[in-house]
Amino acid sequence: MEKRNTKLTYSLIVIVSLLTVAPVVMLVIGSFSNNLHSFGNFTFNKYAAVYTDPMLFSILGNTAIFVIGAAAFATILALFLAYLNNRTDIPFKFLFRVLSVMPMMIPHVLFGVSWVLLLNPTNGILNMWLQKIFMLSKAPFNIYTIWGMIIVEGLLDLPVAYLIISPAMGSFDASLEESSRVFKSGPLKTLFKITLPILRPAILASFILCIVRGLASFAVPSVLGMPGRIYVLSTYIYRIVTMSLIADYGKAAAVGMSILLISVGLIYVYRYYTRSSDKFVTISSRGFKPTVIELRKAKTPLFIILLIISFVLIVLPVLVLLYTSLIPYVMVPGKQAFASMSLQNWRTVIKDSLSLRSLKNSLILGLGGATVGSLLSVLVAYVIVKVKTKASGFLESISFLSFSFPGIVIGIGFMWYFVRTPIYATIWALFFSYIATYLPYGIRPMTSAFVQIHGSLEESSLVSGASFATTMRRIVIPLLVPGIVSSWVLLASMFFRELSVSVVLSRPGTEVLAVQILRFSEDGQWGRLSALGLIMIAISTIMVVSVNAIGNRYKPGEVREKRADKKILKAVS
Amino acid sequence: MEIKIRGLKKHFYSEGKVIKALDGVNLDIAANKIFTLLGPSGCGKTTLLRCIVGLETPDEGEIQIGDTIVWSTDKGIYVPTEKRQLGMVFQTYAIWPHMDVFNNVAYPLQNMKMPKSEIEKRVAKTLKFVQLEGFEKRPSTRLSGGQQQRVALARALVAEPKVILFDEPLSNLDAKLREETRKELKMFLGELGITAVYVTHDRVEALALSDTIGVMNAGNIVELGSPTKIYFDADHQFVADFIGRANLVTATIKEQQEENTIVDTPLGQISCHKRSFDPDDELVLCLRPEFIAFDNKESEYVNQIPAVIEQMTFVGEVYETEVVVGDQRLMTKLDPETKYKEGDKVNLSIKAEHCLLVSK
Repeated sequence: MEKRNTKLTYSLIVIVSLLTVAPVVMLVIGSFSNNLHSFGNFTFNKYAAVYTDPMLFSILGNTAIFVIGAAAFATILALFLAYLNNRTDIPFKFLFRVLSVMPMMIPHVLFGVSWVLLLNPTNGILNMWLQKIFMLSKAPFNIYTIWGMIIVEGLLDLPVAYLIISPAMGSFDASLEESSRVFKSGPLKTLFKITLPILRPAILASFILCIVRGLASFAVPSVLGMPGRIYVLSTYIYRIVTMSLIADYGKAAAVGMSILLISVGLIYVYRYYTRSSDKFVTISSRGFKPTVIELRKAKTPLFIILLIISFVLIVLPVLVLLYTSLIPYVMVPGKQAFASMSLQNWRTVIKDSLSLRSLKNSLILGLGGATVGSLLSVLVAYVIVKVKTKASGFLESISFLSFSFPGIVIGIGFMWYFVRTPIYATIWALFFSYIATYLPYGIRPMTSAFVQIHGSLEESSLVSGASFATTMRRIVIPLLVPGIVSSWVLLASMFFRELSVSVVLSRPGTEVLAVQILRFSEDGQWGRLSALGLIMIAISTIMVVSVNAIGNRYKPGEVREKRADKKILKAVS
Repeated sequence: MEIKIRGLKKHFYSEGKVIKALDGVNLDIAANKIFTLLGPSGCGKTTLLRCIVGLETPDEGEIQIGDTIVWSTDKGIYVPTEKRQLGMVFQTYAIWPHMDVFNNVAYPLQNMKMPKSEIEKRVAKTLKFVQLEGFEKRPSTRLSGGQQQRVALARALVAEPKVILFDEPLSNLDAKLREETRKELKMFLGELGITAVYVTHDRVEALALSDTIGVMNAGNIVELGSPTKIYFDADHQFVADFIGRANLVTATIKEQQEENTIVDTPLGQISCHKRSFDPDDELVLCLRPEFIAFDNKESEYVNQIPAVIEQMTFVGEVYETEVVVGDQRLMTKLDPETKYKEGDKVNLSIKAEHCLLVSK
């Protein structure tokens, strides 16, 4: 038993190191090298070039405003929604659940594009419409600004913030507030003096995680920022490797190093806050319900706000894409638009070899990558939870390493890595880099599933004469099915729409959907983009729903209740 | 099958401290009897059981089951758990929640690649034996605690192992069910006549079930013997104290007579059941509450100790009665219909054979 586990632990350490440690090492070495071909010849030139570039300061400024603004927006909005859901009698509470799983369905790049279609200054649908109604001389809104980026990124990070804050709000001991009320504090004073300070760890955790995600974000800065020449660090790296005459991977690595260090540092702080939040927030096992505040007159307006948020997050993007996919060029909805509607864009996309190839590649990567990735996650989670040795602790830390990696930075690391191997410019480069980058998302649901399987369930199988393999096949795996399903779904939906790693590693022949969408957006091919995007949303929705349905059938007895929300929360945090 | 254990050592390391779970255990477990490992939590009893099953690997020593050496550090032998052909009932029962009762019980036979018809026959027979006839298709998540326990027993028995092991199998049942199940278990094991190794911290279970009890403390077997030997005639203070309620009083030997040993104690001079000790052994006199009578003048009651009743607490079947002798307090029992009351002056009457001298 122990020998077998030791062997397994060490093989996994080797595999995971090759996936997660190697690209970081290559990134570090790369940042001290001249370029891909002169790997390892130590030089400081790239750092010197990057960090003395006066342009960097404005980029750093943009980045700071963008990430802090988006994180603050997402956190405040999440606080508001979590309060409404957990503490008030607002109707239709299922909407909150829908809001919290939304990001699995709509790829960020499409969400960004839908806002471009609505609010870009030249032919944004909403802009043109408002212009017509109010007879304005120019478009009232411009999405290609830092404010546009902040709001769109904030909306995209809202579910993550919500999933952190809502459970803390829900498990909050109401007597703490009640005692404040008894001592003659009004409800508002109680909110600011008692409720928010007690929730501080959850709020900070949400804020920090949103900052990390903002730093890593590539979709919004590229779709909304680059047309208005507003660069942040991630798009700056992108520019270095794609838009200059010679792609300078040394400089890209040197910039990437600082994002990586900030992210790792922030994740460390985040871990600190989520650890102490257990002590801070008084979570009671008595199953009490916090006192529900009656909204009375405020009920209707607040509910309308909730409806608007749900509409903006879920319905509007799909609606805009659908509309755009049916019209020949962007125009305000009206008689003329409806008259000119056709399936032309859909026909073009279905015949477009590039779009078809990217669809095929993304499907292969989504299905195959998620399968291999969740298999690896099962084994890693097994060792992390069941084998308590120093080696398994080491495996845990290297497996979660990529949690703090911004996709585009690690993509640069993989570039330095794979260019030295035969898999460079093949689909395998994307395959392995996806698994490496998103491994923590696969492992999280699995570790919580393993924790629920008491060790004696395996031991009794061994005592019953079953080999290790039989025990895995007949006992452990079937009990893990719900965990495996969540892992698989999370990985598949992330791989299927992957953008930020792919944008570095994708080469002619290995195009993927999100990159193809970005190309369409750069070329202003909105109609085709919308058609392809809708195909993308439809496939990933079918994938998530059907796999969940299959997983439900394998649920053992009444053991597992609805844990989907919790798993997603664990996966994202 | 008998089990031989020689020089078994297992140390755990936690936070820089060494915990000697097994500190060189030597033990022979007789074939076809019920052997119980009894001890407080952390004494190493479960570790010893897990070493026998093979779920834990010892640091040193040898384990032999029947004619097969299943573990030997010197000879480099390790037979993995699945090849040891044992049956085991876990503390949590470890019933697989995704299988029905039939598949849980059939599992060991399926691993032996037995033909299906034979498996069905054996499972039906075993389920009948544990009184779960007709439960085959029941999902295991829909079983009560007692039923789960019996499924676990059926699974452990179905392959007809020569040795069956129990790791505190009754500790998850409520008090009443525990008593019933204990009686059933005794009946089942009596009918089977196989070697059973039973781990528990509950002295009543150990006394009721065992042919032999091994009392463990701090990684060692302190004493070995039949339930009556352990209860009435323990050699060590730890064992005497652990196996039942006991008043412990320091004692020094005054005189060895033909039948009795006379000791000096804070209670005065006491005639004890005869026993010899090394001169430098520190001794303790052990008096069980149920053997302390009140004002009994019969000649067997050689010890008569004047005392005062300090406190009487009614707990149902008895009055738990605390008496004082000088500055020494003793626990005794009085019948619920007793005429004695608090403050009464009494003579505590104890037979010499009920005064047990043990070493500290």
